[in-house]
Amino acid sequence: MEYGPPPLFNQGVSARARLAFFSVVAALLIVIDAQVNALDVIRNGVEILLYPFQRVLLWPRDVVGDFAGYFISLSDLNEENARLRKIAVEQSQRAQLAGELQLQNEQLRKLAGLRERVSPPAQLVTALYESRDPFSHKIVIDHGSKDGILPGGPVIDEFGVVGQVTRIFPMTAEVTLLTDKEQSLPVQISRNGLRAVAFGGSEPMTLELRFLPSNADIQSGDSVVTSGLDGMYPTDMPVGTVTRIDRDVKDQFARVILKPVGGMSKSRLLLVLLVNPPPVTPATGGHEDASGSVRGDRAGAKAARR
Amino acid sequence: MKQWLQRLWGSARLAPGALGDTRPPTIGRGSRPEQVLRPVRPAFIWTTLVVAFLLNLLPWGRAIWVPDFFAVTLVFWNVQQPRKVGMGVAFAFGLLMDVHNGALFGEHALAYTLLSYGAITLHRRILWFPLTSQLIYVFGLLLIAQMASGAVRLWVGGASPGWWIALLSSALGAAIWPLLHSVLLAPQRRPAKRDDTRPL
Repeated sequence: MEYGPPPLFNQGVSARARLAFFSVVAALLIVIDAQVNALDVIRNGVEILLYPFQRVLLWPRDVVGDFAGYFISLSDLNEENARLRKIAVEQSQRAQLAGELQLQNEQLRKLAGLRERVSPPAQLVTALYESRDPFSHKIVIDHGSKDGILPGGPVIDEFGVVGQVTRIFPMTAEVTLLTDKEQSLPVQISRNGLRAVAFGGSEPMTLELRFLPSNADIQSGDSVVTSGLDGMYPTDMPVGTVTRIDRDVKDQFARVILKPVGGMSKSRLLLVLLVNPPPVTPATGGHEDASGSVRGDRAGAKAARR
Repeated sequence: MKQWLQRLWGSARLAPGALGDTRPPTIGRGSRPEQVLRPVRPAFIWTTLVVAFLLNLLPWGRAIWVPDFFAVTLVFWNVQQPRKVGMGVAFAFGLLMDVHNGALFGEHALAYTLLSYGAITLHRRILWFPLTSQLIYVFGLLLIAQMASGAVRLWVGGASPGWWIALLSSALGAAIWPLLHSVLLAPQRRPAKRDDTRPL
């Protein structure tokens, strides 16, 4: 490489020049994609192109799953059936109670002159695949903008909050799990109503409560639920349980590690709540489109971290 | 230089077809005999690249024991046919990979471009070594690509990359190199005409 080839054997642009060109283009794309949503059109196009391949390639897994499911023994099924029946009885009891409580709640709210709570409509979806990238905690679901999925919509399963829709394509949508480092949501401790913000943890499959003073009233085993302050998530959805608290005397804040409750089930069924994203306040930066609010949220969280 | 000359001298002395040597005629690369390969068909290169990409598209989930098939195939063709498979291919497939994984646009593209550049620059050297030693080069190249991807993450998102995942994934990628080598070179090893009287 010290001496270039004679013109007779010209090999075109040198490898280094090509490397420089493609690296600069890639770096530009990364910067643009990280800052603004200008590349979403290209991304949508590529996704539509890839979509048939992705769907076809899911087929072998589903076949293997079905085949394995065929050989589940009778005793297993009986066991599961008994367990599910038990859960159904328990839940019907709770459902009756909940109905009663809701009525009471509505009356009390009317008496107190408060606004009524409305539960948002939801869409049942199936998780197609998890992103292979070990750095990003994302899953792709089989409904997209065609089916009315909105960016920013909370995603839940039978145990609790799983994550949030962060990007929508016509046929599919990307859900960022709560455990992603860039994801944050306002929560409260259900025992005492202490409010905090949960972020994706630095360890895999954990969440972290940040900015809690080191003398905060929090115990290991406390259950953490959404506080609904962001206007996206409904209130009192289970998020996780506290597993560890580091109260360092030197540090101003306690380090609280949570174990998420959602996203642990084996079934691929999820529920996306069709919540209209709240209007973006000028403080979080002015993207007019809906996905901007998610990014604005993130930027706000970043600013808060600093 | 001296070692190289000695090796060349050794190969010349042990040249195939020498007295008492009944091995098939081959061209020596170092002290190691190697078969003359047939030219590769471009269609075959493209098919293997697409198949490797589709293998990556399979729903592996977060199984970290699955190597990046496309990256290893890319390195293979970059090393074997640097004039036919270049950085443009790497870049384009990288963008597709970004969309599939929901990563930042350009993250895999940058990693694959770097990988391709490394493989193209080192291709003469890598081919000189026996297969087991080539593993080390492949491992190094894959690791650099992983690091690039992790660096992008750190730069933009601040996510901790988990260095042992990068190490493991690169090691697994290098582990499938011998298999890939034998499979992808098989069409070129095939004789031009079936001829039982010729050993080649």
